[in-house]
Amino acid sequence: MTAWRLIDSGILRAAEHFALNRALLEARRQGGPSTLRFLRFAPSALLGYHQSAEQELRLDACTELGIDIQRRISGGGAIFMDETQFGWELYLDRADLGTRDMSIIARRICEAAARAVSGFGIDARFRPRNDIEVGGRKISGTGGVFDGDALLYQGTLLVEFDVEKMLRILRVPAEKLSGKAIADARDRVASLAELLGFAPPLDEVKARLEQAFGAEFGVTFQPGTPSEGELELYRAALPEIDSPAWINLVGKPRSDLPILEAAKKFPGGLLRAALAFDRPGERIRQAWFTGDMFVNPRRTIADLEAALKNAAGADVAGIVRDFFSTRDCDMLTLTPDDFIMVVHQAMAQAGPERTRP
Amino acid sequence: MTSIGDCLFPDELFYNVDTGIWARREADGTITVGMTSCACSMVGELVAYLPKKVGEHVERNKSLATVESGKWVGPVKAPVGGEIIAVNGAVAAKAAIINADPYGRGWVAKMKPANWDGEAAGLITGAGVRAAFEAKMKADGLSRC
Repeated sequence: MTAWRLIDSGILRAAEHFALNRALLEARRQGGPSTLRFLRFAPSALLGYHQSAEQELRLDACTELGIDIQRRISGGGAIFMDETQFGWELYLDRADLGTRDMSIIARRICEAAARAVSGFGIDARFRPRNDIEVGGRKISGTGGVFDGDALLYQGTLLVEFDVEKMLRILRVPAEKLSGKAIADARDRVASLAELLGFAPPLDEVKARLEQAFGAEFGVTFQPGTPSEGELELYRAALPEIDSPAWINLVGKPRSDLPILEAAKKFPGGLLRAALAFDRPGERIRQAWFTGDMFVNPRRTIADLEAALKNAAGADVAGIVRDFFSTRDCDMLTLTPDDFIMVVHQAMAQAGPERTRP
Repeated sequence: MTSIGDCLFPDELFYNVDTGIWARREADGTITVGMTSCACSMVGELVAYLPKKVGEHVERNKSLATVESGKWVGPVKAPVGGEIIAVNGAVAAKAAIINADPYGRGWVAKMKPANWDGEAAGLITGAGVRAAFEAKMKADGLSRC
């Protein structure tokens, strides 16, 4: 059976992890080994590659709490990581996967990771595009980067998680930090410790991931370390990544990503939508629905929010209708059109700039 | 126009088959660069685009911009070396224009090639396009591009 390399990097500063990302991806592109890497972070707010710190983070809180800010080389949204979350990464060639379709690659890797999480006796599932969820609550976020046929796909796993700290650091649609906002966030995020009643040993987390990826790709893993050539690439990458210029590589005004809110009373209850809205791109970056409406199963709301992530404003009605057409859920008198209406009302607040060319 | 599956390849363009990039030689000797429809469909709808700065020199097969779809980030690589003379402001605001019109409004950058005649020989154009992309698909074990 083919053996891939397993590197366990432990806790490093985010800049060091991301310099390793670049080095190991470049090495894979040059024919280096396929690799599974485990990692943990010192407390950090991690931007997606194309994100702006000003738009995504509460910078005052990051300073106050001593949170390191860094930019990933992979895509996706900003996340908060500290020593109590776990990171995994795969460095592969597309030949390892038999397809060039990036959504298929993401699904295959995420479904394997979900099986690893399910090994703890919980029902974890892949939720497109890139989440792993338990009962509708996100327990792992993932993202990737490719260069030619080489790719790096990475994910988090919330072993323990401080939701309140996340809300203080990330600029999520819950604009004000409150008990309600914390409760709303807890409806959307889950950790192993919360679901199991205890934080499982990290060695068990690692073993389950190693087993699941090994079974998926028909390989075993051989413990290893970066080669001297990879360390040379790492040393070349670190000064650029460990710099303010890298962290501020993308600068966009907060006004281009407003939090837009709308609420409406329907016969089925009060429905409130809060959107992080990409005004120039006319796209919903993140949506939160709250209110006193009755929706069963409860996960419907979180799943709808996931379906609307990165949705073009013009596509909202179609996405919402498609979503409910494939679901069996009870909302009393609340209808899909109510969701569409409240989202459209929120987006309308983006104002005339929404039509800016 | 050459079509392979759902993907279209205008005959007058020059292609790097490995990177999925096209180049169009303009009358003034500059080139316009973009992603093929095939490359667009592989990565999915794009949500972000970050070009290098106008005035920067980029070597052949080095990144002149990055794009992001869903949560994948990837480079758009220069088909030949040269200076970036324009980037696409409309695409910066709405990256999905690349998917909607990859050979038109969705161009990624304009360049002044340093050595077009020397480096363009490595690109595929005209009658050779179909065979080159089909050979690439076969080598990758793919039934469609």
